[in-house]
Order: sequence, then C-alpha cells, then structure tokens
Amino acid sequence: MGPTLNRRSLLGAGTAALGAGAFGLATGRPALAQTTVSLQLSWLHSTQFAGSYIALDRGWWSENGLEVSLLPGGPNAPVEPPVVSGTALVGISAADYTAAAINQGAPFKIIGVAMQKNPFVIASLPDNPVNEPADLVGKRIGMALANTPVLEALCTLNGVDIDGIEIVPTQYSAQPLLAGEVDCLLCWETDLPVSMAMQGVESLTMLMADHGYAVHSQTYIATDDSLANRRDELVTLMSGEARGWEAYRGDTDAAARLTLEMHPDAGLDLETQMLQAARQVPLMFSGLTDANGFGWWTDETVAANIETLGLLGQTVTPDLWDRSILEEVHGT
Amino acid sequence: MARDLTPPPEVLCADLSKTFAGGTRAVQPIDLTFQAGQTTALVGPSGCGKSTLLRMVAGLESPSAGTVRIAGAPPLATRRQAGLSMAFQDPALLPWRSVRGNINLALKLARRRAEPSEIDQLISLVGLDGFADTRPAELSGGMRQRAAIARALATHPGLLLLDEPFGAVDELTRQQLSQDLPRIWEARGTTTILVTHSVSEAVLLSDRVIVLSPRPAEIVDDIAIDLPRPRTRDAARSDHVIALTDRVFAALSKGMADGAAFLAAQ
Amino acid sequence: MTQTALDTAMAPTINRRGRAAVGPVLGLLAVLAGWEIAARVLTDAFVLAAPSEVLHYLVANWQLMTRALGVTLGNAAAGFVIGNLAAIWLAGIALVWPRSEGVITGLALLVFCLPLVATGPILRVLFGPGPGPQITLAAFAVYYTTLIPLLIGLRAAPESWFDLVRSYGRGRISTLVHVRSMAALPYLFAGLQIAAPAAFLGAMVGEFTGAERGMGVLTIRAIRALDVEMTWGLATVATAVSVLVYLAIGTLARRVLLDDPPVILATPAPTGRRYQDGWIDICLVLFLALGSWAGSIWLFDLNPFFAKGPQDVFDALFLATDAAATRGTIGMALMESAIFLIPGYFAGLVTGALLAMLLTLVPAIVGTAMPLAIALRSVPIVTTAPLVVLLIGRGALGTIVLVAIMVFFPTFVACLQGLRQAPAQVMSVFDSYAAGPLTCLLRVRIPAMLPAFFAAARMAVPASVLAVTVVEWLATGSGIGSLMALSASLSDYDVLWASVVLVAALSAFGYGLVGAVERRVLAIYAPEQLA
Repeated sequence: MGPTLNRRSLLGAGTAALGAGAFGLATGRPALAQTTVSLQLSWLHSTQFAGSYIALDRGWWSENGLEVSLLPGGPNAPVEPPVVSGTALVGISAADYTAAAINQGAPFKIIGVAMQKNPFVIASLPDNPVNEPADLVGKRIGMALANTPVLEALCTLNGVDIDGIEIVPTQYSAQPLLAGEVDCLLCWETDLPVSMAMQGVESLTMLMADHGYAVHSQTYIATDDSLANRRDELVTLMSGEARGWEAYRGDTDAAARLTLEMHPDAGLDLETQMLQAARQVPLMFSGLTDANGFGWWTDETVAANIETLGLLGQTVTPDLWDRSILEEVHGT
Repeated sequence: MARDLTPPPEVLCADLSKTFAGGTRAVQPIDLTFQAGQTTALVGPSGCGKSTLLRMVAGLESPSAGTVRIAGAPPLATRRQAGLSMAFQDPALLPWRSVRGNINLALKLARRRAEPSEIDQLISLVGLDGFADTRPAELSGGMRQRAAIARALATHPGLLLLDEPFGAVDELTRQQLSQDLPRIWEARGTTTILVTHSVSEAVLLSDRVIVLSPRPAEIVDDIAIDLPRPRTRDAARSDHVIALTDRVFAALSKGMADGAAFLAAQ
Repeated sequence: MTQTALDTAMAPTINRRGRAAVGPVLGLLAVLAGWEIAARVLTDAFVLAAPSEVLHYLVANWQLMTRALGVTLGNAAAGFVIGNLAAIWLAGIALVWPRSEGVITGLALLVFCLPLVATGPILRVLFGPGPGPQITLAAFAVYYTTLIPLLIGLRAAPESWFDLVRSYGRGRISTLVHVRSMAALPYLFAGLQIAAPAAFLGAMVGEFTGAERGMGVLTIRAIRALDVEMTWGLATVATAVSVLVYLAIGTLARRVLLDDPPVILATPAPTGRRYQDGWIDICLVLFLALGSWAGSIWLFDLNPFFAKGPQDVFDALFLATDAAATRGTIGMALMESAIFLIPGYFAGLVTGALLAMLLTLVPAIVGTAMPLAIALRSVPIVTTAPLVVLLIGRGALGTIVLVAIMVFFPTFVACLQGLRQAPAQVMSVFDSYAAGPLTCLLRVRIPAMLPAFFAAARMAVPASVLAVTVVEWLATGSGIGSLMALSASLSDYDVLWASVVLVAALSAFGYGLVGAVERRVLAIYAPEQLA
C-alpha cells in the first residue's frame, strides 16, 4: 500500500470515533474494551457454520475480549474481497478459491481447515449407482459447466477417460436426477443429497475426497498483514472456532437447533438442518484432527492438495498454508 | 380602483423588425406609437406578422432590430412590475386549475391581491357565472377564451395585449363582450393593443386601427376611429362606422394587392 | 391527455362494479385453474407447486413470510424513494441547465445498464455488511425509468403556458413551480408505476450479496432445497406485492391527476441541439464515466485486488500476455448470451405488439388479459427463472422465453396505449367511409402506435440484458451472466470488470441502435415526435 494515507481507514476511524462517542454519551459509561472483528461466511446462515454460532452463543469470543460478527454469504456475495479490504478479519473460503485469489495477487494464507475432506460427491440413485469413479463411464452427469475442471481432476486421479462421460449442464438442483434426465449429479454431500432425503428419495453418494480429490474446503483465510499485526485477534477467533466445532461434534442436533434459534428468518427446516449437521461431521473430523485438534493439516495433506490444485489449473506452494495460529490455539 | 394602478403607458416601437431563424421576414422595420390610454387594433390578413409584433411589444419575442419602449422602459421592466397582461390566441389555461384558480395564479404571478368579490365580478362580466370552480377541460372553446380575458384583466395592467381574444367565441357573446370590455378599459384608462382579423370588431372596439400588409408586415394605413363612446349596436350601423369599415377594408385590399405585386415582382 | 391501457382496462371494474368486474376475475380464475392442473400433472417433476399447496405453505409459514417481506419491502421502499429522488434531481439539473441533458441521460443509461450480477458483489465490498447493496440495487433499478418520462413531462406543456408566466415578468422558478411540476406529474406517476416491481426485484437481488434475512434469502434457500412450495409461495407473495403497489400507485395517480398517467416514454428531444452536440455528449459521457470509475476507486481507496480501474481493464483486454485469451473468453460468452437474448428480445416485442393489436380488435378480452400481463411482469425474475428453466428446459427455449417475458409487458402496455393515440378526426374520416376495424388498425392505429412501440423497444434493451444475465447466472450456467458470476468466485476481477464494461457498453449501444432505427421510422410515420 505504501506510505500514503489510507483514505478509507481515515474515514472509518473518524466514523468509529463518532460512533464510540455517541455510544459513550448514550450509556453514560465508556464502552467495554472489546475489539470488534468480522468473520465472513461463505454462504447463508445454516448448520454449515454451526460451530461459529455455538462459540458466539456461549460467549467464547467475548470472554476473551473479541466481539465477532458473522457476515452471511450468498450466491452473489464476495468472500475474498472483504478480507482483503479489512471488512472481515477472517473469511471462509476453500483451497481452490483461495489459490485462485492468490494467483490474482491477494495476500492470503490459509490459517485453518474446517473441512478436511472436500464435500464434493457424485450422487446417484440406488438402481443406477455410481460407487467408484470407474462407474462414471457411460453415465450422464448433471453439473454446472464451471465445475468441469473438478470432474477432469477426478478422472485424471483415477485413470478414467472423461470422454466416456456425458456432461449435461444443469443448474444446481436435484431435479434433473429425479426426472431421469441424468444418471448422477456433481454436488455437495451436505446439500442436494440432504434435500433429496428430505423429499423421501434415498440417494447414494461417492465422496470424491475418498478417490484422491484432495481440496481443503471451508478454509479460514486471513491476510499476511493480519497474520503479522493482529495475531492475538486471530488466535482468539480461531480458538473460539475450535471450541465451537468440538461442541458441535458433541451434539449436532443441538447445534442444528441453535442455528434455527439464532436465525429464525433464514427459512431453515430443523430436520433438514439436523441431517446436514450430522452428515458434515465425517468431513470435518478425522484421525488427524483427533490427534492435533480442529482445523489441522500436515505436510502430506498439503502436498495432496497442491497436486489436486495443480490438476485444477492452480499452481501453489506450501507457503499458502500457515499453521502458526492453529499451533498457538492448540498449544503445540 | 385607486389601488396599485400603473398609469397607462405609451408604447413606442422604433424601427422594429423581425426575421426568423429560417430567414423568414415577419415584420418589416416599423415605427409606431401606441398612445397612452388608447385602444389600438392591429388588423391584417392571417399570418401577416401581427401576432409577432404584439409578442415583441410584450418582450416575449426579441426583435431582430429596433426597440420597444413601454413608458420609456424596455418591456422586461414593465413585465417585472406586472404592468402588462396578455391574452393569447390559445387561452393558455392550466388544466389542473379551475377558472378562479387560473385567475388567482395570474394574481400570484403578478404579485397582486384581489378581493374574491372582484374576481366574481370579472367572471360574471365575461359571462361565466356559475363556472368559477369549473376546470378548463369542461368548458367550451369560447368559454375558455373568456376565462383567459378575465384573467388578463384581473391584475389591473396598465397595458393590455389581446391576441385575437374572441376567435372561438360565438357571435352573440362576442357582441356582448365588444360592448362590455371597452367599458372596463375605458374606466381604467388602460392602453390596449388588440390583434384581430375582424374588421368590424376592430372598428367597434378601438380608437385607432392600424392595417398591416401580408407578411412581412408593413403599415398600410393608420385610421383614427373617432366614434363616441359608449358604442352601442345601433351606433355600429351608422354611416360613419360603415365609412370607417370600408376604409379599413380598402386598406386591407390594397395591402393584399401590393403584396401580390411585390411577390410577382420578385 | 392520455389514458393508460391498464386504467382503461381497470376503469370498468372501478366505475361499474358487477358485470364489468367479471373480466379480471375470470382471468384470475383461469390462471389458477390452469396452474393447479399443470401442477398436478407435473407433480413428479419437482418444478411446480399447485395453488392449493402454495396457499397451504403460506398459511403455515405466514410469520416467516411476513418478516421477510417486511425487510425486503423496507429496502425496496428506501431504494424506491432514493432512486426516484435521484431521478427528480437529475431531471431538475437537466432542466436548469439544458446543455447537460444529453450527458445526464447518457450517464444515467450507462449506470442503468450495469449488470446486477456484477454490481452486487462490488456494492457489497463498498458498503460492507448491512442493507446498503439491497437499497442501492433497488435505487439503480428504478431511477432511469422515472428520469426519462420526467424529462418529457417537464416539457410537456404548450409554449403559451410558459409565455403566460413570462408575461407577468416571472422566470424559470415560477415556470417550474406553477407549470412544469404539475405538467410533469402524470409522467412522474407513469415512471413510479413501472418502478415499483423493479425496486422489489433490485432489493431481492441485493440480498444475494449476503444478507441476514429477506425474500431473496428465502428464495435462495428454497431453490437450493428443491422446495417448490416455498419457491412458488415466495414468487406468489412477491408478485402480489408488486401488483398491489403498481395498482396503488395507479389509484393514487387517478386521485391526484386530472388525467391518467401516460405510458409513452418517447425520447426527450433536448432543445436547440445540433448534430455535433450528440458526439460531444457521447465523448463527455465516456470521459465522465471513466473519470468517476477511476475516481471512486481512488476516493474509497479500494484494494486493487478486486477494484480494477479503466487502465487495468484496458491492460487485461489488450496489453496483458493473456489478453487474447481474455478477449476470446468474454467474446464467446457474449456470443452465447446474444444467441438467447436477440430471439427473446424480438419475440417479446412482437408478442407484445401483436397482443395489443388483438386486444384493440377484440376489446372484450382486455379485462381478462390485462391483469395477467401485469402479474407476469411483476413476478421477480430471480424466483422464477430457475423454475421456468427447469420447466421448459435448459436449452435455448427456457432462456428465450424468460427474456421475452421481460420484454413483453412494457411493450404490450405501451403499444396498447399507442394504438389508442390514433387521432380521433382521422378515425372519423375512416369511419365515414365505413372502413372496418382491420383497415383502421393497419392504416391509422399502427402508425399511431409506432412512437410508443419504439420507446418500449428501447427500454427493453437493458431489461432483456438483465433477464439474460440473471437466467444464465442462476439457471443455465452459460453465457456472460455465468462468466461474471464465475469470475467473481474465482477472484478473476479483470474478467469481471471487463465483462461489466462490455455488457454496459453493448446495452447502451443497443439502446442507441434502436433509437437510430426509431428516428428513421418515425421520420416517415410520426415526424412530430422528432421535432
């Protein structure tokens, strides 16, 4: 940025000072010594972020002097820009999106990995199942064209000829599978299969992560600047996240109920959320996290990620991952 | 009537001419003085430029050359003091205001006040009794023109400019107005300039008739109408009136003939 | 003055309750019956919920719906007010300083043509959390459709009214207060009526950029969860609200105005313009647009990671090593979109004009068709686009139909209005020769309709671009709409900004192109419109 005066931070500081002054006047006492930070979520409020809700609800951030606001995402919501611009201290991205952003010049590091296993699955119906990548040959797969590199990577990793698969461009919906327009869908373990289940349709899912597709998902990202200058806040934030998600794992139904309680206007259905919350657990926790704590990764998982990302056309180095915050959180 | 009356002004046109952007010459250089307190009629064939002359007097049209002086001042100054009123060919009534509302708007624009009773009198004078609160859309063309005349009179202007104000008024009402209106401007001593193509109207209403040639307008004749006032309908049948009317007609015809010759010579 | 087609259609309902009210009711019943049957037939396809199911859903979830509606309606209302005030303010500047009008309308058009898909995330970054993007997008969606009629309305007075004011020595301000403002009111109302559903749509799309609650949030949820009852429930509520606001503004207009709001949105003809002024204006617009683009990046100190300036976009398109590839990607995407947009655009225009003509020949069906047309127009495209595509198919047809629907309604209403502009005296002449309705239609009404038709055709250009980009983004995943969404998620902001620039420029160009055709045609059929 250089030594030039940062106009927006100046404006922001002015506004904040005004706001603080008004607050002081209104309450007649100085505001608590809380630091306010934002966590930019990658989607609308749902159990996908229930660990954060638990941390917020139980005051695991505020007791350490951190006021965290959770900013919802959406189909048209930017995740990386608010982190770059400082609106959010941390954002929830995914290794592939983070890698793309870094290759466009964003100064990010991944500081935690919520989803150890990528949630991409191939969903099919039991009478015409896709149990392993080889089953894809001769099938019609419904997916967004934008996800073609994902399928290509899966095929390469498993020696499957992608030309043997018929790609049917569909929007993100289970309807084409149910209507018999396609034999399988490329989707997330935690959404379309869940909504099909709620409609009474049992589906099979083949987790791509089990077939070599290693892309960390729901990754926590922070800027190099924050890592250098706002470590305490990052540690507090991530430690709350770790505690929240451990509590989530303990009782996913309670986590789903809390999600609905905190977000009554999100139009969520409790049963759907409970199912989603339960299905999310195997993606987030593994022997690795049991041994080292929530969000962890090793050189091996990073190497696997770098390989898959390479297949997706994103060249990254292990520098993208910075474990120092997690190490402080977990006291290693 | 001793309120804020501007004394009737003398209107002086010196070397006044108008050529439109396209090159059409509407008014030849004209030197003309409209006497204070007099009613002067401008008569001429359709499209001869008499309306343009009137608009230049009001300052709504800027002359290509020459000057207009109203009581020695440019028209804008007179307008600013609400010293003139104009009744247009198109009655220019705002459709969202009633007859009374339109009159009140003129008073407001002129920064004048008037008693409601005085407005009622004016409305009654132009024969619109019972239509004070009617909107223009519900009035006939003639009624609208009468409303416009009432509006023009409401501000007590020293100079009254009437551009074919009776065009759409039916014959009977027209005769009535021709008798009633002069009474007002006589009583007020208004300087009135009336544009018309009706010769008999010009003779009956005015103290002086100026006959203009076809476009570009030139003065063909300047006829003093030395008839006693008030002028009744019977007076209109007098030999003198007939003689005056004939003279106006003759001037008009001459203007037309000259115009044709002028065109032929071109 | 004029009478809107809508009001004419509705007038019998209001004036003579009873017999005349049957038309709209019949229309509504027919729609409901057809809808119910279609839903029953398609029950396994997961695309359509029957009215009974929708009603059941709405009754069961009325509190959730009410809260969401409250939020979105609030944002839409704020955007509506801000956008329309901005339009009034801009019209005011153009009035006070007529030379600026070409530049103001040009800039306004350019901003109006910015694709929602891309402006959404940019606004979210600018505003941070809160309702900022929702309100801004709602305001963006309305100001242009108010500005244009207002500019006409402020001049829609005979010269003699201005002379009258001048004859009392008063100037521009008096003219504005006593003449122009009142003369412009019908036009303002016409703009406000169109603006109401647009503001709602803008607020919903704004919620897609990350909002806690609202109709847009619920829509995403419903579509993702394959919850057809919820999706159609949301579409129903959004449509009903839009129609009600539309009708409410119409009713208010009828109370305030002497005449009903006109529908025609003819090109305002700036006074005293010369040929070269047009080119100077275009250059000024470009200069100001580029200046304010670069200027706001500087002023708000936006991070160059996502905020690309004119120079960056130029580099990405022409100088960078991968410039050719970038151009190719964007060009391909634009071509893909054009293939859907152009047929849909013309289909909408033709259908709108033909239906209007049909209704003129068979006036009895106006009462039935009109409410249908309003409802179709008021359905927020974001709720229905994915479903319509599911219903009709991801092939060309689904997208084309949606574009056509967006173009259809304004064209239809404007044409219906235009057909009634046929001069009464000319119609009487034809009557005196006992000419049939078809002859009258061909010889008198259609030429009289042309100005309104072209005005609608121009406004339909940005509308169809909006439709195609939204459908591609939310449903089909192809074309420029999808490319913009994809490049945003992949942080490829060079491509995103370049796409925004090209889409806006092409929309504005299309608008100008229709305007050029319009001038040629009107020069023959309606020269008075070009004076």
